[in-house]
Amino acid sequence: MKYSNPQIPEGINTSKQHPLKEFFMLTAGVLGLIVAAVLLLGFFADKLAHHIPFEVEQRIASKELLAESDPGPMQGYLEALTEQIVKAQSLPEEMTITVHYVDDDTVNAFATLGGHVYMFRGLLEKLPNENALVMVLAHEIAHVKHRHPIRSLGRGVVIGLALSMLSGTMGDKMADQIVSNTGLVTSLTFSRDQERESDKTALKTLMALYGNVVGADQLFEVLQEAEGAMKLPEFFSTHPLSEKRIQHIHAFGRELAHSTTEAQATPLPLDFPDWLNLAADDQGHE
Amino acid sequence: MIVTNIEILPDKRIVQHLGLVQGSSVRAKHVGRDIMAGLKNIFGGELKGYTELLQESRAEAMERMIEQAEAVGANAVLNVRFSTSSVAAGAAELFAYGTAVVLE
Amino acid sequence: MIDLIILVTLLALGYGFGSYAESRHYKSIIARENTLRHIPAVTSRFPPMNEGSRDAALVSGSVVVSVDYFKRFIATLRNLVGGRVTSYESLVDRARREAILRMKAEAEKLHADIVFNVKLETSSIHKGRGNSIGSVEVLAYGTALKTDQ
Repeated sequence: MKYSNPQIPEGINTSKQHPLKEFFMLTAGVLGLIVAAVLLLGFFADKLAHHIPFEVEQRIASKELLAESDPGPMQGYLEALTEQIVKAQSLPEEMTITVHYVDDDTVNAFATLGGHVYMFRGLLEKLPNENALVMVLAHEIAHVKHRHPIRSLGRGVVIGLALSMLSGTMGDKMADQIVSNTGLVTSLTFSRDQERESDKTALKTLMALYGNVVGADQLFEVLQEAEGAMKLPEFFSTHPLSEKRIQHIHAFGRELAHSTTEAQATPLPLDFPDWLNLAADDQGHE
Repeated sequence: MIVTNIEILPDKRIVQHLGLVQGSSVRAKHVGRDIMAGLKNIFGGELKGYTELLQESRAEAMERMIEQAEAVGANAVLNVRFSTSSVAAGAAELFAYGTAVVLE
Repeated sequence: MIDLIILVTLLALGYGFGSYAESRHYKSIIARENTLRHIPAVTSRFPPMNEGSRDAALVSGSVVVSVDYFKRFIATLRNLVGGRVTSYESLVDRARREAILRMKAEAEKLHADIVFNVKLETSSIHKGRGNSIGSVEVLAYGTALKTDQ
């Protein structure tokens, strides 16, 4: 019996495919699948959530509410504007908007479940005229009109469940990150779509109330300034870029043959700055 | 090509030993199968998807081992052993190795 | 955004260093396989009785090898769609050949001529850590013998 030990050729137990090629094919394939799945799920969840009655939304919301806002001149002013906007947007009867003035430095405003709209002092301070203020308010009310809060909630629940099921079975930290981050970034497209829809409705409201869309672009200039230098690519952001939103406004203005700068803006009430401060003083005394 | 897990074939004489040959294969099932397997875990029973996975892996490992044996000019692989390991979650590695020999 | 930059950096580092380390490891494996070619390793349990085999001794070699980030990323994606996990193939191949080489090197130190009844064990020692590290441990062991051939 003879023992020998010949050389075995390389590459029998390994595949010859180039790793980079495999990497690109897999990345494109997997990310494509996740994106498609999230878009599909999001689309259906969105459609279904639309049919949830507003009443249910109000009931969900009532638990997580802030306390009633103090009646002050600012609150009264905002409520008066809200009433006009609600009429202009012809909201259904059962859809009630509750506006809250929040005495806080945050440059923000948001709408949440049950038709509650929050306006922060930080943002109001920076607004140049009434038109810009109405743009903000109309934008938030448009969110409620289009049922955006409940639709985002429904979508978030469905997509979140699906993604966690997927990453749960993988049982791997890296898989978890890939799946959930891709899903998250993808679902942001829905959020941006909603913002665009609300912008559009808000512009129509401005048109209906003032006959022009002056001030709308100024709002986004203010927001742009507040964003500062830290700018994310639109892809990673919940809102479309402010520049793009301004462009849309200008396009909208051109469409209606109205320049956004020619027409005269409606100024804010003379006492507006005082109202801001008044609310602040009230807080100070307490 | 004779592949067995005994060392001495009663009717054949070994002319030459050609050393160790090995074949391995790492495979995974798509995530749908993983989810189904996860559900099946509740009720118990055979996880068909994973059985299939192991069979595919084993077949490929054998193929590769035989390929190595052929490459060194053997006509049989004796004393073949299998071993399984999990290199990553959801992926199975099957490994087959044996001694390549030239039989009379 | 920052996550993405980190990911791309890790992938690039993993790919660069990983493929460099792998090709270097393969070169060294092939070189050492050639120098140790005079010691065959076989799986049969029965050494020939008539050839004066003596000095039986257990020899073993083991190694733990880990994949790079890039390969782990590919494997994770592959896990989602199924199929052959090519990025782990070279890992286990390298680990096995390295373990066998270390076993043979031990046999050479004992001036043995052949290793009998070779067995290979593969395990993944990272199991307790939620599979976060893709690494394998291979243990090769057998009985080294001297023959009077």
